[in-house]
Amino acid sequence: MRPLTEEESKTVFTKLANYIGKNLVHLIDRQDEPHCFRLQKDRVFYVSESSMRLAISVARPNLVSLGTCFGKFTKGGKFKLHITALDYLAQYAKYKVWIKPNGEMPFLYGNHVLKAHLGRITEDTPEHQGVVVFSMNDIPLGFGVTARSTVDTRKLDPTAIIVFHQADVGEYLRDEETLF
Amino acid sequence: MDVSDILAAHEAKQKAVTVEKDIPLEIDAGFLTVTDLNPVDKESYDADREEYLMSIARDGAQALLAALFSLPTTSSPDGPLAQLPPPTTQLPRAKPLPKPKPPTKWEQFAKAKGIHKTRKDKKVWDEAKQEWVNRWGWKGANKDKEVQWITEVRANADVDHDPVKAARDARKARVAKNEKQHQQNLARAMPLPVGTSSTGAPADRKKQIDRTLAVTRTSTASMGKFDRRLEGEKKLKGVKRKFDPTEISAASEKSRDLAILSKLDKEPSTKKTKSSESSASDVLNVRKAIRSASKGKGSAALAREAGGGKGKNFKKGKR
Repeated sequence: MRPLTEEESKTVFTKLANYIGKNLVHLIDRQDEPHCFRLQKDRVFYVSESSMRLAISVARPNLVSLGTCFGKFTKGGKFKLHITALDYLAQYAKYKVWIKPNGEMPFLYGNHVLKAHLGRITEDTPEHQGVVVFSMNDIPLGFGVTARSTVDTRKLDPTAIIVFHQADVGEYLRDEETLF
Repeated sequence: MDVSDILAAHEAKQKAVTVEKDIPLEIDAGFLTVTDLNPVDKESYDADREEYLMSIARDGAQALLAALFSLPTTSSPDGPLAQLPPPTTQLPRAKPLPKPKPPTKWEQFAKAKGIHKTRKDKKVWDEAKQEWVNRWGWKGANKDKEVQWITEVRANADVDHDPVKAARDARKARVAKNEKQHQQNLARAMPLPVGTSSTGAPADRKKQIDRTLAVTRTSTASMGKFDRRLEGEKKLKGVKRKFDPTEISAASEKSRDLAILSKLDKEPSTKKTKSSESSASDVLNVRKAIRSASKGKGSAALAREAGGGKGKNFKKGKR
């Protein structure tokens, strides 16, 4: 377990800023309890300072997880967000997409969001913008990247892809062994 | 009536116009200076110092003015102007003497070989034209081969051999070579910047050799794995990565992260951030706010409403 280097922090922050924009400050500068980012075996954990201090005494091979896993660094040095970060992303998301009940299951099986399943979308969402996917009763289901801007979605046919799937809560079951 | 007393009294009041000294004063009218080389009269100096100094200064000023009035003058609207002669006093240089230029490589070689420089004239005599022409430069003699109207070409020369171009290329190459040597001379003459002593400290030299050795050891096909080891050769050590301590305080980490964040905000390099720049720059979505405030009419309508609210109400009343 170690803090992120400056280069790594930059990578993580740019990825997170794609979803929550300026709200990223609220993750770093928290009012309730100071939190920090820690790297353990390629995984980035967002953890409160107190539990981080407790975890220091655990040897590296024995430390399985701490705090909230935000994602992992690939061997190529890119950062991949995991579904476990959804709680924070949903809380601070700038752009949101709500999908109809008939589209929930296809999305939770790892498919993209189609125009036919689109319930609502935040106005003025640009193209290729990270969005958080909600069910119609505001339960966060996952996140993805918009294929078109809000304006462009109007004239698409119902089978066109609106949001590219990136992670969904179905992964808790599907990728149970590798997720944490 | 005897006026000699009165005259004597007047004389005493009017001090002598001519200054008499044991050693004559040195006057340099060009610098408007007078130098009094006479030794100080100790008695009168001790008696009244100010008075004595005043008298010496007065004598000097009197001598200088006398010298000035003897100079040739020109008339001007402001009165006559004296023309000062060039100064005679030798003043020391303000700046130190320039350092001798470091010798060029050729100068070093010529000195070692005992070659004396023979300065060539800029002009050479052209027998054909019967006049002096420049050795180089405008209509220079070194361009003769390029401007002559007929050129002898070897029998086995290439079909596309262009003697003019060849001569020009050779000349340009000579110029380029000279320029290169000039640059090398300048570089050699430049003092080494502080902190970099490539030739200086033996410790630096050792470090350099060690680095070169480390590179060569890993420069074989097997990255040095199957090379024969020399006796006493140590294992190569890589660069150790350094990280912040894990127990770094959250406060300092927070400030570091915020600094990184502000840096990220300044450089919206990625395409994504650029496309959403206008809305991402602040939390408030301005376009949306305007639309809801003006009820979909746009910012122009909103401004009109705010400016002429009275007029609108009046209109409404009329209806």
